[in-house]
Amino acid sequence: MKRILSPLGRLILPHLRGRIGWALLAAGLLLYPLVFTGAFYRDVGVTFLLAAISASAWNIVGGYAGQVSVGHSMFFGLGAYTPLLFYSLWGWSPMAGIPAGIALSIALAVVIGMPTFRLTGHYFSMATIAVAELIRIFTSTWTFVGAAIGLQGPATARGWWDLTFRGELPYYYIFLAVLGVVLFTTAAIERRRFGFYLRAIKSSERAARSLGVPVRRTKMQALALSAAFTSVAGSLYVTKTGFIDPDSGFGILISVQMVIVAALGGAGLLFGPLLGAAILIPLQTATNSWFGGGGSGLTYILYGGIIVVIARFEPGGLLELWHRVVPERWRRAYAA
Amino acid sequence: MVAVQVIVGGLLLGAVYALFSSGLTLIWGMMNFINFAHGEFVMLGMYVALMVVVWLHGGPVIFGIAAAVALCALGIAIYFSLIRHVIRGPMLAQILSTFGLALLLRYSAFYIFSANFVSLPQNSMSGTLNLAGIYLPVAQLVAGAVAIFLTMSLHMLLTRTTVGSKLLAVAEDRTAAMLMGIRPDRMQALAWGLSAGAAGIAGALMATAYPWSPSVGETFGLIAFVVVALGGFGSVLGSLYAGLIIGLIQAVSAYWLGAIYKDIVVYGLFVALLWFRPQGLMGKA
Amino acid sequence: MLLEAQNVSKAFGSFRAVAGADLAVEEGEIIGLIGPNGAGKSTFFNCIAGDTLPTTGRIIFDGQDVTRASPEAHARAGIGRTFQVPATFQDMTVLDNVMVGAFLRHSHRNDARDHARQIVELTGLRPDQPGRSLGTPGRKRLGIARVLATGPRLLLLDESLAGLTPTELQEAIALVRRIHAMGITIVIVEHIMEVIMTLTKRVLVFNQGHVIASGTPEAVVRDEAVIEAYLGRAHRRPPPVPPPQAGEG
Repeated sequence: MKRILSPLGRLILPHLRGRIGWALLAAGLLLYPLVFTGAFYRDVGVTFLLAAISASAWNIVGGYAGQVSVGHSMFFGLGAYTPLLFYSLWGWSPMAGIPAGIALSIALAVVIGMPTFRLTGHYFSMATIAVAELIRIFTSTWTFVGAAIGLQGPATARGWWDLTFRGELPYYYIFLAVLGVVLFTTAAIERRRFGFYLRAIKSSERAARSLGVPVRRTKMQALALSAAFTSVAGSLYVTKTGFIDPDSGFGILISVQMVIVAALGGAGLLFGPLLGAAILIPLQTATNSWFGGGGSGLTYILYGGIIVVIARFEPGGLLELWHRVVPERWRRAYAA
Repeated sequence: MVAVQVIVGGLLLGAVYALFSSGLTLIWGMMNFINFAHGEFVMLGMYVALMVVVWLHGGPVIFGIAAAVALCALGIAIYFSLIRHVIRGPMLAQILSTFGLALLLRYSAFYIFSANFVSLPQNSMSGTLNLAGIYLPVAQLVAGAVAIFLTMSLHMLLTRTTVGSKLLAVAEDRTAAMLMGIRPDRMQALAWGLSAGAAGIAGALMATAYPWSPSVGETFGLIAFVVVALGGFGSVLGSLYAGLIIGLIQAVSAYWLGAIYKDIVVYGLFVALLWFRPQGLMGKA
Repeated sequence: MLLEAQNVSKAFGSFRAVAGADLAVEEGEIIGLIGPNGAGKSTFFNCIAGDTLPTTGRIIFDGQDVTRASPEAHARAGIGRTFQVPATFQDMTVLDNVMVGAFLRHSHRNDARDHARQIVELTGLRPDQPGRSLGTPGRKRLGIARVLATGPRLLLLDESLAGLTPTELQEAIALVRRIHAMGITIVIVEHIMEVIMTLTKRVLVFNQGHVIASGTPEAVVRDEAVIEAYLGRAHRRPPPVPPPQAGEG
């Protein structure tokens, strides 16, 4: 018996070890709201998922391709406004606005990427911050989209398609499913040519070009994909809050959160954003409640400080730190 | 008459824009580095002026110098503690470093000074002049004039003095400069000091004429980007022309379209520049 | 004729870095480009490689006009180049680095990986080594491996053998020979005379933007104009003294 089992074991176990890590993570995420049933805990869970989705979306262009967008809120806001716009104008289900948000975000991505991707990375970063701010101010003056007051969604659900649920649970699982899609897509990219090209571009555009990598086109595709996912994140956000205004849609703090969540956990790594969100969202919730009203001010001072520290000492984030500090042997033993 | 007033007002403000933007363009030209916290330097200059007036009862000259010195020191400190390390690293680190710094400075200011708009108490520069039917606040006039003078001085410093040529040498070819006995580290620190100092004094100048809050840093930062993009990255003289033009465009847009549109026009101009002429009026891309 | 450069000039403002240079390379040759620093050979090289746009002239590769083609297009057409200072993809392993090159011809990951593995073996590197841990010789070799994986017909080596110890240099020369044996045409820009003498069959000498001599390495090395270019007028050899006739003396 032993002679049959042990070679089998040697074949199966390595696969299982990797899969065990994934399975544990998936199980944990799936069971979380069933174990922690309080509204507060579920709410934190939903916020965590949303932050993880946004940051993972940013990660594709900012972490993997190295094109640092500090204005990603523009895509988030487009995805947030279109569902409520369709509802306010024609009474349609907010879901109808989601594809429109994606289409607009991709179009905006092209508009920004086309001129800036042929110049150095700084231009792209500056453009993202300027365009996001431009859209924010413009939205706050345009009465068609509610100007500074914003838009509201259905107060009570007319059906499941309005995506207006009373409990947290449905939101949690919908968001979790979307996170799964984003992570799965990112993992698929990592393994394929596109992922290799992204990482090459991040390291050295000149070298990548000399090896035949279509640099501009690849950056453009990464940005478009990232924009699309970010737009979906924005749409998810409004299904939950039922309300949007220029600041909650296009504000700079949304962009900041995406960047810091991804960078803290590990930009350019699959689970970096997830780790970052797992640390920052509970932290944010805690500081907001400790400091009361002044909490958000201190939170952003803290965010700024964290970003500076990451940039100065460990741009690869915590996961990168883990990879460097923990010796190879240990890591292989615990590796997912 | 109102039109002329709008134009002159816009140019005067534009001169101040030129002053702080020349600091940003200096850093770009020297180190291929964009300082996302530059607007915050201007904002801090304004608060330094306020503190000098409130605590030390200093006049414009005193708080102007104080703002310049304080921000210059801050700039040098930031260079040595942060910039020097990230400049050789990945792009992500470079951009995050000053972006995070901007947040840190901005929200610290919100925390310390509150979000209320403030302005300097009555001082020697209050009051309005009547020049041939145009009413100009003295403060705006002085601010604009001093700003033009200082920007030109910076340009002269860079192009006519030994220190200036050393700075430009490091910008052009770091290694060659080292071989000629120039210490690039020192020159870059100096550049940061000049850059931040210019921003600080521009802030102090604006504080005499306009109210502000910690939120203005973000706006000034973006304006600096537009000015530098229009004037050409690396060109102080370009910043001067571009600053005046931007100030003018802003004033005219506010007058024609309404105050809320003045920033939209300027940012829109920035996007258009990126599309059609990233190298700006006088610089290299 | 695999590569033809016709009357290529490159001017930076009023400075003419290259003035009317011609080059014709048949398939299977190994050609050297030499010349003192600032002679224009690197600029000319960059024109052929697609990194610099010539002011005038044409560059024709395998019948295609590639004068204005981008570096990516050059790679796709079959012209590969190395850089003096190779930019390794630090966050990736050696194998992954080479795979980036391999993906040009193999869109599927497994095919690209197999091809890359072959190349890595050929160049004597270790596939799982992190890119950042390589020393100078390793990085240069990786630079060659990466571009090899793109399946070039013409390989442009830009001082890829500089900065190596004598042993490393011999290994590198052997590698270039192996590459040549695979049927790849090679153009080398080099300062190291040993490389030029042992590897190349034909050499072009640049000075001040012009091609001042062309021929076999042995002939070129003895050429008056070449010696003058490198060492200056004073070092021109005096005219040969006729041997004393027998019976005189």
